[in-house]
Amino acid sequence: MMSFVLRRPGQSAILLLIMSVLVFAGMYVISDPVAVMAGEDATQADRQALAAALGLDRPLPVQYLTFLGNILRGDFGTSFVYGRPVLDLIFERLPATLEVVFLAMVLGLAFGIPMGIYSGLNRKKPATKLISMVTTIGYSIPNFWQALLFILIFAVWLRVLPATGRGPTTEFLGMQLSLLNPEGLRYMLLPAANLGVALICMQTRLARSGTQEVMYQDYMMFARAKGIAPPRLIGRHLLRNILIPIVTITALELGTLIAFSTVTETVFSWPGIGKLLLDAIYRSDRPVVVAYMILITLMFVLINLVADIIYAILDPRIRYS
Amino acid sequence: MSASMSEPGLRRLEPFRAIFRGYPAAAAGLVGVVICALIALLAPVLAPQNPFNQNELDIMNGLLPPMGEMMDGSVSLLGTDAVGRDILSAVMYGMRTSLLVAILSVSIGMVVGVVLGLVATMRGGWVDAIIMRAVDLTVSFPGVLLALMLLAVFGSGVDKVIFALAIGIWAQNARLVRAVGLSEMKKDYIAAARIGGISDLRIMFHFLLPNAISPVLVILPMAISGAIVAEATLSFLGVGVPITEPSLGLLISNGNDYLLSGRWWISVVPGLVLVLMVLSINVVADRLRDHANPYLQAKG
Amino acid sequence: MALLTITDLSIAYGLADGRELEAIKDFSLTLQRGQIVGIVGQSGAGKSTIGKAILGLLGENARISDGEILLGSENIARFSERQFGAIRGKRVGYIYQNPMTALNPVLSVGEQLIEAIEANTHRRGQAARDHAIALLTSAEVSHPEERLSKYPHQLSGGLCQRIVFAIAIAAQPDLIIADEPTTALDVTVQQAVLGTLKRLALQEQIAIILITHDMGVVSQMCDEVYVLSRGRLVEHGATARIIGAPRERYTRDLMAAIPSVDEKRPRFDVLDAFEETPGRRRGIDYLKSGIASDVGQTILLSVRDLSKTFKGEKRGEGFRALDQVSFEVIAGETFGIVGESGSGKSTIGRAILGLVEPDAGATISLAGRAIASGDRKGLSQRLQCIFQDPYSSLNPRMDAGTNIIYGIVAQGLVDRRSARVLAEDLLEVVGLPRAASRKMPHAFSGGERQRIGIARALAYRPELIFCDEPTSALDVTVQAEVLNLLKELQESLGLTLVFVSHDLAVVRQMCDRLIVMKAGQIVERGSAEQVLTEPGEPYTGQLLAAMPRVLRSAEPS
Repeated sequence: MMSFVLRRPGQSAILLLIMSVLVFAGMYVISDPVAVMAGEDATQADRQALAAALGLDRPLPVQYLTFLGNILRGDFGTSFVYGRPVLDLIFERLPATLEVVFLAMVLGLAFGIPMGIYSGLNRKKPATKLISMVTTIGYSIPNFWQALLFILIFAVWLRVLPATGRGPTTEFLGMQLSLLNPEGLRYMLLPAANLGVALICMQTRLARSGTQEVMYQDYMMFARAKGIAPPRLIGRHLLRNILIPIVTITALELGTLIAFSTVTETVFSWPGIGKLLLDAIYRSDRPVVVAYMILITLMFVLINLVADIIYAILDPRIRYS
Repeated sequence: MSASMSEPGLRRLEPFRAIFRGYPAAAAGLVGVVICALIALLAPVLAPQNPFNQNELDIMNGLLPPMGEMMDGSVSLLGTDAVGRDILSAVMYGMRTSLLVAILSVSIGMVVGVVLGLVATMRGGWVDAIIMRAVDLTVSFPGVLLALMLLAVFGSGVDKVIFALAIGIWAQNARLVRAVGLSEMKKDYIAAARIGGISDLRIMFHFLLPNAISPVLVILPMAISGAIVAEATLSFLGVGVPITEPSLGLLISNGNDYLLSGRWWISVVPGLVLVLMVLSINVVADRLRDHANPYLQAKG
Repeated sequence: MALLTITDLSIAYGLADGRELEAIKDFSLTLQRGQIVGIVGQSGAGKSTIGKAILGLLGENARISDGEILLGSENIARFSERQFGAIRGKRVGYIYQNPMTALNPVLSVGEQLIEAIEANTHRRGQAARDHAIALLTSAEVSHPEERLSKYPHQLSGGLCQRIVFAIAIAAQPDLIIADEPTTALDVTVQQAVLGTLKRLALQEQIAIILITHDMGVVSQMCDEVYVLSRGRLVEHGATARIIGAPRERYTRDLMAAIPSVDEKRPRFDVLDAFEETPGRRRGIDYLKSGIASDVGQTILLSVRDLSKTFKGEKRGEGFRALDQVSFEVIAGETFGIVGESGSGKSTIGRAILGLVEPDAGATISLAGRAIASGDRKGLSQRLQCIFQDPYSSLNPRMDAGTNIIYGIVAQGLVDRRSARVLAEDLLEVVGLPRAASRKMPHAFSGGERQRIGIARALAYRPELIFCDEPTSALDVTVQAEVLNLLKELQESLGLTLVFVSHDLAVVRQMCDRLIVMKAGQIVERGSAEQVLTEPGEPYTGQLLAAMPRVLRSAEPS
């Protein structure tokens, strides 16, 4: 079990290293930062001076090592647009992203798992057909268009929820959170629902297929044969088995939610790291893009690691081998 | 090899029909898929206007609502956008771009992924290790985010979008083929082929491939609809296809600015078409997947 | 009053196309308190379906179409799921074929036993736990307290089955349905597990319906036996009478197909005459012209110091599957390799065939010359293999004919056009019609697939065929047919066979000489006759004693 958990950090370190090479290659080698920074009407001398100031006249491996060294010291450079350290910018906006993702995840689990188990157990009931129809449609509506529809319906036509922006926040442990502010929560509902719909659909499908698969295992028939009543059969024998993939994939899904928060945050003008990334891409704010990529890779490495550990804890076949 | 190996032809169609019998939603989806494909293919013939020919556009026709009358007296069925472009025509051409990008990226991703998955399975050892670490690297990012980052680095364009999406797709296919391939490799018919002196290349393509490909084919429609949505998302965010070749996603994005002023059709119409197209593919995909699932099949 | 009376029971399965298939037709059975009866039949006979019907465990697509099942005086044939709740585990216990899949892999065995006790008795908490330990003790589980916290994958199959026994008797039911309780277990474990089951039944006065394909198990355990074929009752009666004087043709054939470990017969007395068609003669001629049949005392295969160590998970830890194995196979004989699962017997074959790389120091030579493991093509015409599992040994995406000839065509041994005719000839040689050539593997039964596998091996005209448990997955009558075929081919072609098996009775019928394997080492060698009648090693004696024998004359106890 320990070796199983310890095997990963090594791989993860290599993954991070490869990612840093790719980002470096993409940002510093393929495109020319001097041309972007110096602007159209810079002279040849200006360009050379700038290149020397940025250390771009040195050999590539040296440049890469400098780049890597800075990152390891936590120095991701200064934003061209905001003129502030990139890391500060990202950590300032991270809570806004995480709280929306958190709420979406709660929605996904709270609705998805019960709906999935119900439709897995009752294949022929009308409610199952309805659930299946709704999830297929929900799954087929692209995230961004669904966000537009939400705004059109709830903000423009019904006028019950604010369309965009973050609204008031409450400070908690040094973070600004909307979750703890009743008015702020109103601003959060549409973005969280927007992220949550796809998750609900996915959890429903996952729980449904897991239920269908587990219900046909010999041990479920044997449990019935030995006189176990349905509540325990479902609450213990079934749930304990299907939770393994659900919890593991949900942990991994955290990454997907963070990815799609770029879309959600853009449509709802929600000031999280996703919107920060897109603004940086539009305005060629390279240090922000680089920092986002490296940090998001780190975050994904951690998420994968946590998912593996959860999997090992939940499944005794892995725990004791 | 022999005639029998090319047999899957006409006779395969019969079970295909049986898959959809008794499933009206899936059958409707199949019809939807065929219609979308035909529209995309025949857009230049069917569309009332070539929306990308500047000579055919007239700013005076701008922002007409659906059924609005154009300057030349013709009726614009689904309205026009700010530059007087007929939405119906734009949507038809947009479907073309959306489908082209999706099909090409999935095809490239699938072929590369399947071949690398097979090679990893057959060779094992360090070849397997390298391929699978590359897979791990790729699949630890959601496809859209990966593509977004690639496009941020390399710039946008139709070819770059196809390339960026294919990178997310190959890894899934390689992983899938390898997982199935490894379980097939343990089976005796592979051992029999080895004992029979059959070369690795033949084993790979005549023994392993036909037996390991079905899960890839089952997720193929899902991969295409996923690629359509991913491309639309990227184009909506402005890092996808260029304005000269707008896909549905870019059309939605263009209409976005007029949404709050009540001119909903510019963005809602391409959005609805996108949803219907994706929905059609997904219900077909669901049916195919359920059909391939032994747990459901056993119940009849 | 009888404990259980089944009268004219019919069970139908709904098929995907809306039709119904009658799995059981007019089955009747009477069971008294404390009695053990067997339901015996080959795969597909419907014997498990009867067991499931008594517990209300038929799938959604199956229904009892006719007849009644009286448990005491209640007709449970039309019971609802809720009503069955009062029967399952309380009045009727269930023992499932494969204990490893019957237990939930993510719950501890203690939890699974205690929940059964709590669901079916009045014991709760500590009382339930104490009872669990008492049950495990009476099911002869050693260290019962420690076992409670274990998970199924941490225990052996035999131990898991004893835990399943403990679950089944938790509420002292009147009846236990035991569905193939020892099929998934090793032969030496089988006897002990059956012994425990029988002792529990006698001690607690529990009646047992024992569902099995194994006449040996029936003859040891059952007072009465019901013979089932294709969902119909063939005959029933006292076990000794059915075994000693079967009335029906089906039962007689079944008995004739059972190999005996105590005497060797030239052929199994089953119907399998081959039609001497021109195609079959042509096929035999093709094979004869290529297979050198210099039957004599020449050594064909010689294996010296064959060892194989599989790398372990951790560094420095390895598993020695084979340890310094040496033996010789004489041309024209059938050489047996016998052992339990994990003894390394299949690894020998895989090493000789080049599927696993042996440890350094081994010499494998064929007709005096060391074989080069890299020369896959050259080797393929000298060594071939027949596999254990007929469901995985053919490429499912090629028709039968292509499966047979793909390799020899790919190597250019025959040209493509004549290969198709050759495939059809070879199918006739192994007793299948020419038309089988165009059918895909899924259209064949297990026995038919095994014949196709034999044809594929023969097509190379090899000097030696390695038979890796070729009949262990087959029904006993099908096994008899396939073994007869192998004997016939060997006689007409002078083939040399290496026959790997765990079944001493099959080995007795097939082999001239043999080696006995245990934990990667040869423990005994000699002529089959001598080793299987007067074993020199205690281990061989244990194996022999553990063989389920059909006690043809003995009175059932």
